[in-house]
Amino acid sequence: MVIKMDAKTKKIAVFGVMMGLVVIATALSGCLKSGEKHTITIRGSTTVLPIAQKTAEAYMDKHPNVDISVSGGGSSVGIQSVGEGIADIGMASRDLKDEEKTRYPNLKPIVIAKDGIAIIVHPDNPVTNLTLEQIRGIYNGTYTNWKEVGGPDKEIVVINRDSASGTREFFWEHVMQKDDFVATALEKNSNGAVKQTVSQTPNAIGYVGLGYVDKSVKAVKIKKEGTEVEPTVENVLNGKYPIARSLYMITNGEPKGIVKDFIDFVLSEEGQRIVEEEGFVPIS
Amino acid sequence: MSENHYVIETVDLNVWYGESHVLKDLCMKVMRNKVTALMGPSGCGKSTLIRCFNRMNDIINNCRIKGKVLFNGKDIYNPNTDVVTIRKKIGMVFQKPNPLPKSIYENVAYGPRVHGVNDRETLDKIVEKSLKSAALWDEVKDRLEDSAMSLSGGQQQRLCIARALAIEPEVILMDEPCSALDPIATTKIENLINDLKKKYTVVIVTHNMQQAARVSDYTGFLYLGQLIEFGPTKQIFENPQEELTEKYITGRFG
Amino acid sequence: MPFLIESFSFFYSSKRKYFKEIFIKGTLFVSAIFAIVVIFFIIFFLFKEGHPIFENIGLWNFLSGKEWNPTGDPPSYGAFSLILGTLLVTSGAMIISVPLGFGSAIFISEIAPPKIRSIIKSGVEILAGIPSVVYGFFGLTVLTDWLRVTFDKPSGECWLAGSILLGIMALPTIISVSEDAISSVPMEYKEASLSLGATKWQTISKVIVPSALSGITAAIILGIGRAIGETMAVMMVTGNAAIIPKPITNVFSPIRTITGTLGIEMGEVAYGSTHYHALFGLALILFAIVLIVNMIANVILGKLKEKHMPALKKKKRKMLSQKTMWRVKRSIYALCSLTLMWLLVVQFGIEISVLIISIILCCYLISKKISAKTSQRVAFGIVALSTIIVLFILGIILYYIIANGARALSWEFLSQYPLDSGRAGGIYPAIIGTLYLVGGAILIALPIGIGAAIYLTEYTKEGLLTKIIRTGIEALNGTPSIVFGLFGFAFLVLYLNLGVSLLAGQITLALMILPTIIRTTEESLKSVPQSMREASLALGATKWQTVRKVVLPPAMPGIITGTILSIGRAAGETAPIMFTAVVFSQRFLPTSPLEPVMALPYHLFVLTTSVPGAEQNAYGTALVLLLLVICLYIIAIMIRNHYRKMRKW
Repeated sequence: MVIKMDAKTKKIAVFGVMMGLVVIATALSGCLKSGEKHTITIRGSTTVLPIAQKTAEAYMDKHPNVDISVSGGGSSVGIQSVGEGIADIGMASRDLKDEEKTRYPNLKPIVIAKDGIAIIVHPDNPVTNLTLEQIRGIYNGTYTNWKEVGGPDKEIVVINRDSASGTREFFWEHVMQKDDFVATALEKNSNGAVKQTVSQTPNAIGYVGLGYVDKSVKAVKIKKEGTEVEPTVENVLNGKYPIARSLYMITNGEPKGIVKDFIDFVLSEEGQRIVEEEGFVPIS
Repeated sequence: MSENHYVIETVDLNVWYGESHVLKDLCMKVMRNKVTALMGPSGCGKSTLIRCFNRMNDIINNCRIKGKVLFNGKDIYNPNTDVVTIRKKIGMVFQKPNPLPKSIYENVAYGPRVHGVNDRETLDKIVEKSLKSAALWDEVKDRLEDSAMSLSGGQQQRLCIARALAIEPEVILMDEPCSALDPIATTKIENLINDLKKKYTVVIVTHNMQQAARVSDYTGFLYLGQLIEFGPTKQIFENPQEELTEKYITGRFG
Repeated sequence: MPFLIESFSFFYSSKRKYFKEIFIKGTLFVSAIFAIVVIFFIIFFLFKEGHPIFENIGLWNFLSGKEWNPTGDPPSYGAFSLILGTLLVTSGAMIISVPLGFGSAIFISEIAPPKIRSIIKSGVEILAGIPSVVYGFFGLTVLTDWLRVTFDKPSGECWLAGSILLGIMALPTIISVSEDAISSVPMEYKEASLSLGATKWQTISKVIVPSALSGITAAIILGIGRAIGETMAVMMVTGNAAIIPKPITNVFSPIRTITGTLGIEMGEVAYGSTHYHALFGLALILFAIVLIVNMIANVILGKLKEKHMPALKKKKRKMLSQKTMWRVKRSIYALCSLTLMWLLVVQFGIEISVLIISIILCCYLISKKISAKTSQRVAFGIVALSTIIVLFILGIILYYIIANGARALSWEFLSQYPLDSGRAGGIYPAIIGTLYLVGGAILIALPIGIGAAIYLTEYTKEGLLTKIIRTGIEALNGTPSIVFGLFGFAFLVLYLNLGVSLLAGQITLALMILPTIIRTTEESLKSVPQSMREASLALGATKWQTVRKVVLPPAMPGIITGTILSIGRAAGETAPIMFTAVVFSQRFLPTSPLEPVMALPYHLFVLTTSVPGAEQNAYGTALVLLLLVICLYIIAIMIRNHYRKMRKW
């Protein structure tokens, strides 16, 4: 009987500790809160998320009574959330689809940045430039060996984005010209995963947003009419680099009040500087 | 008496369960083809002792053993002794009938199977013979494929005896085999024990004095981990040498 | 007169007792039904969202179409390669994890000395606490690279990588649940077998394992459920090319699973589009697969039970029919081995397969010749080896996380808010958020789960209702976490208007861990001997008193094992909370359950996939998540060991 009591006390103790944690955490959160709180929730594309996050941080530093919470989930989650009124701002890395326009007719997409898309290969790959035709050939299965595009005699490992990705859609329309992708391509659901795979697979090729290009991968130059264009923010801005898409923040109806203030901040000079710092292309 | 008369012999056997010293300097000898009964009050160490004979105490985690248990002159606790061979030669029947969750047939055939008999016909024969020796054949011969769990308690215990007989041991250890059974089943088992001693040596633990008197040739009386008295059953019951034994037998105990 | 009062109060109290019993039974029944209701909600929801695709392109076309290209022009929705991918990856995972898990379970419960046992067991449970995102990144950065280099392939992202990873992820479930089943085999069986001179190994293989089969099958089903429904990890390592491997046995071919497809495409697909419906159609198919797998497993279990525990009813069977049975069995074995041989020949060519077959034959013949002792030595060796492999895997993964994560760890990291999109600052709100989510999920799921299990084992006879409830629970177990997420989003967040909130996340997680809790609780309740219940009932205790005071205490270790597995799963999951509860960053902690929270696995997920240059903090987050889960485990394990000590039979 004594032992049994022990077990019970122990159990109670454990629950006690757990509840204690909860209470402490709640108390702490209570202390942190002060003044009137405005909240903005932003949901959607993980591609846009770093921009939203950084601009939100800067905005909150200026307006301490505003709490902006940012979360991902994907463009469609963002669009649906803002359409259903769960979020104040949706983020999307693609245009609204017809289904979405009919369902939520009031949605208003605002271009907040552009995203240059870099073609990346492993740093050891001797290939430094490709034409758009060659890239298309690699991605539709015409070329399966690096030697066909001026590289070593190695099988090409094609890394694609997932079929729902805005990046892929853009790539498909503008580089592939709506040609089908080769079926054996490996598909990744994020820029980070594509970069990771390319960085450790010597014969891989992939495409990611400019912000993801670092030392672990090599961005190839695009050969166009005899000139080689490096994927940089300047080249996207001056229109030389051909592969770039728009990123959106979406509101339900015209943005009002604090939401409008925040979007204006994103579009302001300071906001656009953050966009550039995060490796994206400012719109002006 | 020659060496050959003793099957099992313990020399200064001490057993500890964790901190408690349950058997103390125990010396006794078990005669071949006789029934030896071990009796004593609960907790006196008789079950522990019988479990030393086939090293069933090995599976108890904090059990420590000192001293010798000789089986046909060889120490079964010698590191070179194979415990499996020991248990094959020394069968055991437990306090609570413990048939395996298999059919009646498979319960009896289990032992021969693990010792390498796989031929169906041989197995059939062994099963029939063992069940007959355990006086169970007539009751179960039509339902050998039924679950052993479907038998009554007494039948289960006889099945366990049959199962022990199937591997043809030299010694059968019985740890209070009748404590969970009714008088009729008990009588059946006692009769069985009488038959068994023709071929086997039987060691039986009991706290039923009448049972000890009825079935055994030799009796040992244990108290608090010590062997108080050991001798022919008749002598123990009619003319005990020790006061404790007498008290126990006459029911003036404690 | 005093007599009258006494008898009155007796009746009075018995009446009160009676109503109390009715009330308790009702409550338990409701919790058992709850699982079913949830299942029906989920099925209804999936069907509602999924059926347009079947109407649009036809069920058969959807199932048999070989091309999955929903964004092509024109789009094509053929799920065949995805279904095949799921089956192949899962069976590969089982081929890896069932022997390893089974071997380790035997080693832990029967062979290892008590001290080593508890160490290994805790190790295995840590394995369960590693979040799937971490597995995914381990797979992506270590495993696929190793496969690529070792087998000299252009890419290591393939079927094999997925199977290995899922196999590892299913291991803790298989080991823990079967270990519990094996440990609860009554001591008498063991004694009976040993006393007949059977070796330890013979006892294990012929008595203990057959007696524990029900629990072991449950373990494997839970394991399959875990593997089949896993999303985050599998989509990071299988390459996700929607193709059929050529030849079908090519384990180095990239492959795409149903869950991978859902995980990849769900977040970006336009709501209400054909593609969207097609994804829900896939989820329905996955659901069906899980149900079929469960049914097959149950049939196999039934057969095995019949073999080892013949029915209690009298069944007349003549010797002759048994001989025919033997003959039938033999021909089935022959057929199976022929098929296997054919597969071998297809895979490796004739010479090598002849070699393999002769080696197998030799092994078989040798195994017949060698003594029971030698075979015991060999068996123990194999079993110990499988445990060592499991521990080795654990070691590698832990090393990987700790080596990369330790640099990020500091007091500031634990106590501050994230800065610079998580590249700097700490993860304090995410730690608290995860604690909230896990704690809430357990608090919701534990009473319902235990209640349902008690109802199923103690209050009903096996029948149609229990069958339906069980099927429902098993289906829930195999439901991919992302489907829970979507269900939570559609039902809790949108329909019930809870919004993206802590509460919605807790409920979603609770639904996800419910089947594990029910299954493990049920198994441990079943292992309490009937005689103990009878003893209590015979003393005039009511059913509920019996359950509470006699049945539940010895079943506690098993229940806690289930809870431990659940904590690990709830803490590490990303998909269910991604749509329902979490935000990437927040300045304030939530003050009510209706506010969203941050959570470690989601934070980790975003850092690794969407924030370039946050690697160090990502590993740090993974390490903190792991440590957090381990802390929760240690508490649970302490409670369990305490109950273990109390178990007296």
